[in-house]
Amino acid sequence: MFHSQILKQLSRLTIASASKLPFNTRHISSSAVVQFKITDQLCAEPLKKKKKVDPAIIKAREDRRRKKLEKQIRKLQKNARQLKPIEEVEPPLHLMDQMGKRKRPSVVLSAEISETRALLVKEWTRYKKQEYMANVAQIDRIMAAQKRALDMLYEESEELYNEAIMPDVQLIPCSFTGTYATPPIKNYESPDGEYIDVSKKWGHK
Amino acid sequence: MLLRKVIGAEVILGHKIFTRAKSSWDIVAGVCVERLPVITPPLNELQKKFKDFLWTVEIEKSLKSDHELRHENDKVQAELLKNESVDVDLDTVSKITAQDFEDSSSDELNQFKFADIVTEGDKKGIKSTPERCLQRHLVLVTHQKLGNDVKTILPQGLWKEGETLRQTAERILSEQCGTGLKVKFLSNAPCGFYKYKYPAEINGRLGAKVFFYYANYNDGEVDKKSKPNWLTRNELAELLPEKYNKTVQSFLIEETF
Repeated sequence: MFHSQILKQLSRLTIASASKLPFNTRHISSSAVVQFKITDQLCAEPLKKKKKVDPAIIKAREDRRRKKLEKQIRKLQKNARQLKPIEEVEPPLHLMDQMGKRKRPSVVLSAEISETRALLVKEWTRYKKQEYMANVAQIDRIMAAQKRALDMLYEESEELYNEAIMPDVQLIPCSFTGTYATPPIKNYESPDGEYIDVSKKWGHK
Repeated sequence: MLLRKVIGAEVILGHKIFTRAKSSWDIVAGVCVERLPVITPPLNELQKKFKDFLWTVEIEKSLKSDHELRHENDKVQAELLKNESVDVDLDTVSKITAQDFEDSSSDELNQFKFADIVTEGDKKGIKSTPERCLQRHLVLVTHQKLGNDVKTILPQGLWKEGETLRQTAERILSEQCGTGLKVKFLSNAPCGFYKYKYPAEINGRLGAKVFFYYANYNDGEVDKKSKPNWLTRNELAELLPEKYNKTVQSFLIEETF
């Protein structure tokens, strides 16, 4: 009896677990029960309600993005089409600025002079062709003479021939200084002095 | 038909190789020492005309140089000074005019003595020095004792056993022309070939086969005992026997003036 009374009083202090209680229950209690409740276990924030986006707006956004990218591609391509400036070929800027002063009056050639010039050029090409053919013929002649000499040597003695066709390693490197306009002056004393080299340096410094 | 030709060629080659063993020709190495031209040859008519044409066209198509601008400036300043109508800024008048600079430069050039193209050897007609005809190629010829004759031809000598032909050529040159001569041989292979028969058989040899070696003259004196001469192409053609000359000129560059 004592037990049941205590139990009754204590039953008011029951902790009801969430699983037992369904969500939509009417909160009508037949007995006076103080129910402690722990909030439901939530693993994430409850999802916000999604607003419906107009498909037209989505399309517009995509188009704008695509147009932006295409414009950037076109800009880069224009850059590639431009040729890189060659330092050596660019005329110096101070000359470009002074073009007004530096330009010569344009020469008007009479018909006769331009004709004589054209004829001279033609004659020159003919002369140069002859010269070239003569050079080639000379080289052929010299090579034929050597070939004949080697053939005759082969007839004479194979040993000498083999020694003759061996390459001469002491010949290379070989250099010849060319002809000049005037002969060298005997016992010339070149004047002493310093010189400052102002020639332009292209490429890696 | 073709097969017969091929076999025929092989037979001839075989015969040649066989007869090699009992060859009756002396092997002789000859040396052609050439002094290359020192000065460019003169321009002919057409070349002069074309050169002038190119120079005028270059001036026509060019811009004015600094020197020209300075010259024009000077003229303008001189005009202003003469008129004295406008105040002339003395700073812009250059102290040394462009004309003065040009004149002093040309004076300096005229005073400088270039060496003469026509050397002493040319003027006196000495043929034994290589300092002559600086615009032409010169070939060395010496007196050679062949049997009882003494001929002026390119230096040559017999080949000895145990040396290559090039070594023979070098030896001959040092023996006959002295060790003072500095040359550069250009190849191990001979560049020309000449065959001649002895008037009578000597030691069982019918004649000699001369293989020429080519060398460029660098420096030095030729020993006088061989009585050397440096000859141009025309002089070679006059002096050497005809067929010999033809062989020699066949491996030398032709001159065009």
